[in-house]
Amino acid sequence: MTRTKTKLSDDQLNALEAHLAGTLKPVTPPVDVVQRLRDRIRFPQTVEIASRLRDWERMFFVFGGVMSGMLVIITVARALYYLVGRK
Amino acid sequence: MPDIEFNEEDVLTRASQGDRDAFGLLYERYIDRIFNYVYYRTGNLHDAEDLTARVFQRAMNHIQNYTDRGVPFSAWLYRIAHNLVANWHRDRSRRQEIPINDVPVLPSKGDHPEKNLVRSQEQDVLLKFIRRLPGERQNLLILKFVENMSNAEIGAIMGRSEGAVKSLYHRTLLALRDQLGDQSINLDNE
Repeated sequence: MTRTKTKLSDDQLNALEAHLAGTLKPVTPPVDVVQRLRDRIRFPQTVEIASRLRDWERMFFVFGGVMSGMLVIITVARALYYLVGRK
Repeated sequence: MPDIEFNEEDVLTRASQGDRDAFGLLYERYIDRIFNYVYYRTGNLHDAEDLTARVFQRAMNHIQNYTDRGVPFSAWLYRIAHNLVANWHRDRSRRQEIPINDVPVLPSKGDHPEKNLVRSQEQDVLLKFIRRLPGERQNLLILKFVENMSNAEIGAIMGRSEGAVKSLYHRTLLALRDQLGDQSINLDNE
């Protein structure tokens, strides 16, 4: 054993950390791997989830629109009945 | 990849009630980090893919057991990954020695792709020595350098105090320095 020191000099520490930072870099998993994993676990893609959320928003507006329309029709019908039908 | 902003607490609640869409959001958020961890612990793309899938399957099956006791969800995921990787190593009759040339080089984030095609000889040597370290020391280096975590965050994952992590880190660097003593990596003249 050529080195038995139990302390690291600042230079050694910095050099070692620089080497480690250069070697242990975050990697990007290949797209096909991510897709295979998603298929394997059967998760919907983020875009699907997002589009589903947008669909719910759209459904809410459609439902609200239909209900409002029906209220208007009923109100008009009642008004007509009141004005014409009573005679 | 599109990123949807979400409140993790709400998503976790929904996911623990069996909402797969909610778990899908968690998957999108953590897939890269868990894959990175497993990839560096196995050094093998195929097994990294397999183990990453198992991490998320196990998390999905047991998410109702996850309770936030000051331990972030990411720490819980890493612990699952750590246990699966430990089992994977245990299942092998002898410690895996992957010829360094067989370890696939994946593109690093933020670097030009061409730059990643060739890993320097020094990095190969260092990676080889890192893989020879005990598992918990490898964990520490991966979490510190790949995931850029603080000692406190690493402690939460490894179930150690911040001071214990700091001490382990120092011993790990000493061990690496001693191993690298006779190698071409020069630590004294930089």
